[in-house]
Parts: sequence; structure tokens; C-alpha cells
Amino acid sequence: MLTLFLVGIYPTLFALVTSFRQYSLVRVRDGFPFVGLSNYASVLQDGSFWGALGTSAKFFLTVMPVELVLGLGIALLLHRPGYGFLRAMARVSLVVPMAATYAVVGLLGRLIFNREFGVANQFASWLGVGPLDWLGSPAGSFAAIVIMDVWQWTPFCALIFLSGLSMVPVEVEEAAKLETTRPLSVLRHVQLPYLLPGLTAMLILRSADVLKLFDMVFTMTRGGPGTATEVISILVQRVGFRVFDMGTASAQAILLLIFTIVLSRLYIRYLYREIT
Amino acid sequence: MRKLLLAAVCAAALLGAPSARAQAWSLESAAAPLKGTQVNVTFLDRPGYRAIIKLLPDFEKRTGIKVNYEIVPYENSREKQVLNFTAKGDLTVALVDLVWIGEFAENGWIVPADKFIKDTAIADPALKMDGFFPLLLNAFGSWGGTVYGLPFDNYSGLLYYNACMLKSAGFDKPPATWDELAHVYAPKLTDKSKNQYGYVLQSLRGETQSADSFMRMLWPFGGSLLDKSFHSNLKSTGSQTGLKFRQDLMQYMPPGDVSLDHAEAVNAFAQGQVALMTEWSAFYATVTDPKTSKVVDCLQIAPEPAGPAGRLPALGGFSLAVAAQAPEKEQKAGWLFIQWATSEAIAKEYVQAGGVSGRKAVYDLPEIKAQYKFVEPMVASWQAGVPEFRPRFPSWPAISEVVAEWGSKMQLGQVTVEQGSDEIGKRMEAILQKDGYYDGKKALLQ
Repeated sequence: MLTLFLVGIYPTLFALVTSFRQYSLVRVRDGFPFVGLSNYASVLQDGSFWGALGTSAKFFLTVMPVELVLGLGIALLLHRPGYGFLRAMARVSLVVPMAATYAVVGLLGRLIFNREFGVANQFASWLGVGPLDWLGSPAGSFAAIVIMDVWQWTPFCALIFLSGLSMVPVEVEEAAKLETTRPLSVLRHVQLPYLLPGLTAMLILRSADVLKLFDMVFTMTRGGPGTATEVISILVQRVGFRVFDMGTASAQAILLLIFTIVLSRLYIRYLYREIT
Repeated sequence: MRKLLLAAVCAAALLGAPSARAQAWSLESAAAPLKGTQVNVTFLDRPGYRAIIKLLPDFEKRTGIKVNYEIVPYENSREKQVLNFTAKGDLTVALVDLVWIGEFAENGWIVPADKFIKDTAIADPALKMDGFFPLLLNAFGSWGGTVYGLPFDNYSGLLYYNACMLKSAGFDKPPATWDELAHVYAPKLTDKSKNQYGYVLQSLRGETQSADSFMRMLWPFGGSLLDKSFHSNLKSTGSQTGLKFRQDLMQYMPPGDVSLDHAEAVNAFAQGQVALMTEWSAFYATVTDPKTSKVVDCLQIAPEPAGPAGRLPALGGFSLAVAAQAPEKEQKAGWLFIQWATSEAIAKEYVQAGGVSGRKAVYDLPEIKAQYKFVEPMVASWQAGVPEFRPRFPSWPAISEVVAEWGSKMQLGQVTVEQGSDEIGKRMEAILQKDGYYDGKKALLQ
């Protein structure tokens, strides 16, 4: 309980109180007076905040379907009987991208998508395309951070789906396969109910994760070029740790917390189903 | 007669006192009461810091003072230090970028150097403040007429050029003006079919965009960020000419120039992809290292080209100052370290280890002149320059973010130069308004 208070509750309460103050670390001599809701008002009227939130939303809506489809595909492949050793190896190797530090993923991305010697352009040249200016163009840099995120988080989706598939009673699944030869029907009517709790958890975790995604994007593009990859956490970091306006940054963070809670409630309400 | 003799003896004693003190003072004896003290400082992963790290064992051996350094990326170095200062942390010595000096000094995070210079126990009689280039001491170490830090890691913008590529294109000397660079040299040096470009300008979003790319093109063209009343000067003829010049020059830069940080721009030059590059003197060591550069034999260096307003090259660098939060004993040990690291006594070794000293005397040495091609153009650049090349007031970090965002949008063509200038001007003035520059509360220092 004490740990929960120290690690979770106290920092949140501190951020909440700070969000109602003028709290500039580089103007400590001015004190930290209460300013009511003025930090919230300035955040909600700030075009940069909505722009960055829009970029985060676009990022989430781009990566999530790809990760879900690829993750489900990998999970279904690994769920098939046979190839015991290879399956075990594949499961272990799925953990590797998830274990990589975000900042390292960003640095790897900077190398992979380098125009001159990156492997991305090597692959593109085999397809007769390029060289593409990945990190130097708004669309290219957005695509690059999407690809790195898909690489890192598809295995997570695959493992969650795989655990859902392993919950399906063997006799029910075998009976269904005797009833129909169409795998999609088995997936829709037999396996999907077991996948929904995992899907809900994934959406909640990944929504929160995308809202606080920072290291990978910062090391790869610093939010640029322009504002092409300025996701919301990059903006909060800029306000908090470049401008050191902790009051405004805390207001932004509290608003993000509220968004996350609302999204989570919506996911649970519309997606989550108890298996009966 | 006796009175005369006494006066003569007194005068001799007074005149002889400094030299006697100079002879009596030594780093070892000054450090004796501080033996075992630890000094904490933030370093960057750049040649100047690697150079001083090589020399540190000698300082530690002579003084018994332990210097603990933490190497952090530039982009996080201010954040790390500001948090340390506000939390009354353990930093003893502040690493002060020239654009942080106003913020650090006005917040009382660093101690005026006078406190230590007047302390005869620790002040080296050979300190010679007038031995620093005045521009560097003024720009990197001083705020409001008070000296806080001593110039340590010193940069000037230089024109690096690949003499072999220039020769192949029919040039036997580098461009003297920006106009010449853009209209005579760059077109002949650019051959996109061979992936070869005339010029590279590091422009990654962040301080690289705001300082190295955007500001570089204002001053030589007669522009500036602010006018005398601290309002935006970006719509002035000089500023607009400079920013439009940058847009026009982009056709001769490698694709994706707007995503290039220093390391990548230097690499493009070092691999022979680019013929001309304006970059800090600190990267000389990288470009002359055969392990990282293919152009060692073709490398030549000149001062940055002149614009219509003259030769006003980029100016950047760091000073070291004593942190106010440190206890008295650590402050003294910190000063001894700063004094030693920036001293004339080790300037030669520092330069030979890859650093760029702010001391004038070292660049007069014939062996240094002969060994380092960057010396003469750099010394020429430091004779004149604009200390406020980037404003050094506390509002700069917030303004830098705005310039970085809209400056890169300009380069990408997402907004026109005029639109971008309007946006930067509007947002910058809002920051300055909030910081009290328009209501007479703050002196207009930059």
C-alpha cells in the first residue's frame, strides 16, 4: 500500500496540484502561486496541443490495426499443431523486440532509415524503389516511426492472442473444425470470444502506451521534421523539460490521464465480454 | 635619507609582491586543504570533453581532488542541470552553453568568478583573464557585465571544404561570400546523378535547427531575431533575405537535409558526398580522423563566407562556472578545476588532445599553427563576432523551440518564409511578454 502510494498516487496528486499553479522551474524566484484553471484553459486553447494529440491519434489508428492483424496471424500460425521445437523458438524470439529499450529502438530506426546507408533503402532498391527520404520528409518520418512501433509491438499482440487461443477448450475447437472447413467461421464463432478479453487489455495498454510514447520518437526524429512526428508526449516533454513550465505540462499530463481513463472505459463497455 | 630608503624598500616589496606570490603559488599547495574533495560536473560526448578527460589524471594526482564527470547528450544536458540546481543536487561545476548564461546567472545558480579570483589562496596568479579571446569571455562566460564562467569548449563556425572536389570543378580557393557559394560554387559542385552535393547545413529540429541552421542565415545578411525594443525583427529586409537565401540554397543540399544533425552532416562531408560544409571547429578532430573520414587529404578550412553585412560566423561554446549550491569547500575545489582546465598552462596539451582552447597564446605557437588547419580561420573568426548570435537571455530555450518548429516547416515548404516569420514573431513576442520584457520590469539584455 505504501509502495502504491509513493510510486503511483503521490506523483499523480503532485501533478494535479502543480497543474493549478504557475510553476516554472526557471523562475523559482517568482514562487508557485495558484492560478486556478488558467493552465487548463491555455492548454485547451493551444493549437499545438490539439495538433500533437491528433498526431498521436493518427499514429494509434495506423499502428493498432496493423499490429492486431499481424499479431493475430502470427498467433494463429503458432497455434497450429506440429513443429514443436520451431514453435517454441518462435515464441521466445517474439519477446526480443519487446525487451528492447525504446531509446535503442529509436537509434536503430535512425540507422535503418538513413537515406545513404540504411537497410530500409536497401530493401526498397530490391523492389526498384528509392532511395527514399525516410527521415527527411514528413510522410516518410511518420511511416518510419510506424514501422518501428509495429516491429516492436506486434509480438506483444501475438503473444496475448496466443494465450487467448490456448484458452479455447480443445474439444470445442475440434468439434467446430469437424462442423466446418472454413477457418474464418471457427475464428469468428469459437475463438473470438476467448480473444476479446485480451484484445481489450491490448487496446487499453497500447492506448496508454501511445499517449506516453516518447523515447523512440525523440531519438529517431525529435518530433520533426516540422511537427510530422510530434506526438503528445514529445510536446509535454518540450513544455516540461525544455521550457520548464511544469504547471502547463502537468495540466497536459492530467488531461491525458483523463483521456486514457475515458478510452479504457469505452473499450471495456463496448468490447469486453465475459466468457460464459 | 632613512625615510627615502624605507620608501624604496616598501615600493620594492610592493612591486615584488605579485611575482613573489606567483612564485609561491602552486596548484598543489592551493589544493592541499581541499585534498579528497569531490567535484561533480556534466560533460558532453564531444572532442573537447574527451580531451580534458585524457588530461584529468594529472590534475587529480597533483591536487588530490576527484573530478566525477557524467557524459550526457547535449539535448538533455540543460534539463539535467536545471533539475539538479532546483533540487539543490550535487553538481559542483556548471557546464554553461552560451545561451544558458542568462538563465543560470539570473537564477543565482552560478557564482560570479570574482569571488574566487579575489581569493589569493586559490586564485592562480597566472590566471590572466585577458589571455582569453575577449569575444569568448564576453559571450560564453559573462552576463550583465559580470564574469561567471571561463571559456572551456569553444566553437566558431568554419567553412570546411573538400579541395579535391573544388579543384575538379575548377576552383582553386573556397568561396569568400555566401552569394558566391550559392551562385558560383554550389551549382558546379552539385551532381545529383552521382549523389554529390555542393553544400550541407545541419538542420535537425531542436537547437540544431534554431541555432545552426536558422540563426546562421540571419546575421550575415543584416538580419537578426530581435530589434532594439525586443520585438521580432524577422520581417526586416535583412532577415527575410537571409531566410529566403537558405530556401534557395536547399536545392544544392543532400535530400533530407532538414533531418540531419551535426554527426550526419559531418559524415556526409567526411564521406565525400558534400563539397562544402559550415560546421563548428569542434568537429575538426572527426573530419581529420582516417577512421571516420575519407577526405583527410582533401580537407581544407576557411572562415565562414561573408554576407552583405560582413563576415558574421556562427558562435557557440561552453564555459565552466562554479555552482552556487555546492558547499564552500567544493566550490573552491571546483574553481581550481575550472582554472586548471581553462589555463594557458595546459592549453597546448588540451588542443593536442582534441580540444579547442579559448586562450589566445596557444594559437601563436608555430607548431600548433602548423599542425591544425582550423587555427587561423578560427582565430580570424574570433576577432569579430556577435555575442548575441543567439540571444543569451533566459527566454531563449522557449523561443528556440518555436524557431525549431517553424524554421523546419519553412525548410520543408509547409509554410512560406513570410508565414513562418510571422508565426515565430507572434509566438516569440508572447513568450517575451510573459517574461516581463515589455513592461519595463526586465533589462533588455541578450
